[in-house]
Amino acid sequence: MALFLQDLVNGILAGGILAVVALGFSLVWGIMNIINLAHGAFIMLGAYITYQLFTSFHLDPFASIPVSFVLMFAFGYLVQKYVINYVVRAPVLTTFLLTFGLSLLLVNLALVVWTGDARAVTPSYAGANFSIGPVTVPWAKLATLACALAITALMHWWLTHSKMGRAIRATSMDVGAAQLSGVRVAQVYAVVYGLGAGLAGAAGSLISLSFSLNPAMGDPFIIKAFVVCVLGGLGSVEGALVGGLVYGIVESFGSQYIGTGYQDAVALVVLLIVLILRPTGIIGKATA
Amino acid sequence: MQSRLVSFILALALVVTLLGPTASAPARAAGNTIVFGAAVSLTGRESKEGRLTQEGYDFWKDYVNSHGGLTVGGKKYQVAIKYYDDEDNPQTSARLVEKLINDDKVNFILGPYGSSATFTTAAVVERYKVPMVEANGAAEAIFNQGYKYTFGVLAPARRYLEGILDMGAHMSPPAKTVAISSANDAFSLEVAQGAAAAAKEHGIQVVYQDKYPVTTTDLSTVVSAIKAANPDIILNAGHLTDALLLHKGLKEQNVVAKIYGYSVGPDTPDFRSALGRDANYVFGAAQWSTTAKYRGIPGFIQTSAEYTREFKAKYGHDPDYHNAESTAGCLAFQYAIEKAGSLDPQRVRDALANLDVMTFYGRIKFDQRGLNMYKPMVVNQIQNGELVTVWPAAVAVAKPEYPTPVWARR
Repeated sequence: MALFLQDLVNGILAGGILAVVALGFSLVWGIMNIINLAHGAFIMLGAYITYQLFTSFHLDPFASIPVSFVLMFAFGYLVQKYVINYVVRAPVLTTFLLTFGLSLLLVNLALVVWTGDARAVTPSYAGANFSIGPVTVPWAKLATLACALAITALMHWWLTHSKMGRAIRATSMDVGAAQLSGVRVAQVYAVVYGLGAGLAGAAGSLISLSFSLNPAMGDPFIIKAFVVCVLGGLGSVEGALVGGLVYGIVESFGSQYIGTGYQDAVALVVLLIVLILRPTGIIGKATA
Repeated sequence: MQSRLVSFILALALVVTLLGPTASAPARAAGNTIVFGAAVSLTGRESKEGRLTQEGYDFWKDYVNSHGGLTVGGKKYQVAIKYYDDEDNPQTSARLVEKLINDDKVNFILGPYGSSATFTTAAVVERYKVPMVEANGAAEAIFNQGYKYTFGVLAPARRYLEGILDMGAHMSPPAKTVAISSANDAFSLEVAQGAAAAAKEHGIQVVYQDKYPVTTTDLSTVVSAIKAANPDIILNAGHLTDALLLHKGLKEQNVVAKIYGYSVGPDTPDFRSALGRDANYVFGAAQWSTTAKYRGIPGFIQTSAEYTREFKAKYGHDPDYHNAESTAGCLAFQYAIEKAGSLDPQRVRDALANLDVMTFYGRIKFDQRGLNMYKPMVVNQIQNGELVTVWPAAVAVAKPEYPTPVWARR
């Protein structure tokens, strides 16, 4: 029972991070129909921003979340405006290749700047924990979960209440109609891609606390983001959150009771089941 | 008609020559330079280890060149190494080695980083009959294929964690239980199997054993399972990234054991700089340490101390065992080529097969399969931020600090 509860907690804590990891990926995919293979590289950059601020200026990793969000947002915005926008209407393979190339470029640049050395962000409270009965909860991961929930809630509020948020949702529903109503689609796309990158950066900052940093660290997260999006439902904030939590918990129990070696397999089987029963994802809505 | 037939046959011959995998005549050394080829991970998840490999190779090359080069059959040769980045992908590694042999016409192959890549490249060098000495693939599976052209200077994978279990059994109070987690790759699985066998030998009970995917981003379930098993010894067979992830996770869930031992990780300076005080008391298995007491034959640096000093002067950091074993791989080639007195791949291969030399890194002698069965491993511990050899007692410079205290007191 103790193990069961511990695994549940582990799963929820991991799921919160996965939700933020997937959120930006989901928005870009759902709204722009771009499978952003550079998402992992953005996560990596976010983590290194936190690392650099921590080692050079002793800035707390949590305080660096807004910094990596803003920096990565600006970077994503520019990349979309001056690079991807030219091929955004091209067949999916073109954007696929472009973002893959971008990813290679960023990872190799990081290799030049930070080398391949493994690094870690270790504030004094890293690893500090408290126990409730038989369950041990690390403070940093709990705070990470809280941040993940806060970021998700903020995104949700912004998308439903701000003018830009409404324009984004309109564009995702029908590009033509949005354009006719005066929405500047190119602008919307740049903001969405910027958001995707910014959220990836924030996710990188959160991950840096429990994961060790190296330039290739983002890669495994792309496939996870992919699964989480499809699990929860594409292009929606709630979808990413639900998908992330479900994935985290399934992975946790799967690796405990079926075997850690099957960690990925279990999550993918659940994905298949969800796709068969609910092709639009757990809370996704069918679109025309 | 006649001429058409002739040109057809000539064209056919040309096509067959181009497609055929048969190696062309050896004499590949351009002038006075012997060219080695290596595809190592300069990018990707194991780029750190790949760089260490490259440094080890380059250190040997520069040393040899600055000391007059290699003498082959009375003639002096300089040494060059042609590198490619295999991006930490075994298939890419095999393809690049093929390119090194076919297009770049290198004389000999130095191994890539990691057992998986070594496994795929071993098949390539076998096909072209070009000898390869590898220093970074310890999985015995590589050597059980009946290959004749691959030689490894490492002690085999299954011996990696033996020393830590041997030590645990001799401590007071002795360790009685062990948990073994491992990454799901050829090398790590063999390390874990070897550890489980060694545990049995020493009467230590295995209370947990499982494997996780190599690309894992979360080991918290492994950690909670280990915690539930409450072992005296926690062993991980994996690589640097996993070791860091696991050790952080063990702290997060407050798992206290008497011994923490990791196959790869503690020996790299990154492990200590990334974890700070938490790295203290951790044990690591190593092919070599800066304080190991071996004395090599002349022709190259003879002691670990001298190697360490010269290496640090060149690269600005202490050599870890990846550096030393990579240098040792080159050294095996050096002695074999000089003994063969020829650059003929077949004769160098035969010289490698009969090699028996003592080096700063330990003894190099290959068994029938090409594996260095004669090489002992050492156990190091991080004590107060410094890596020191603590086991076996004959080569140790300090006593193991045992048992490990609770997290707050490290």
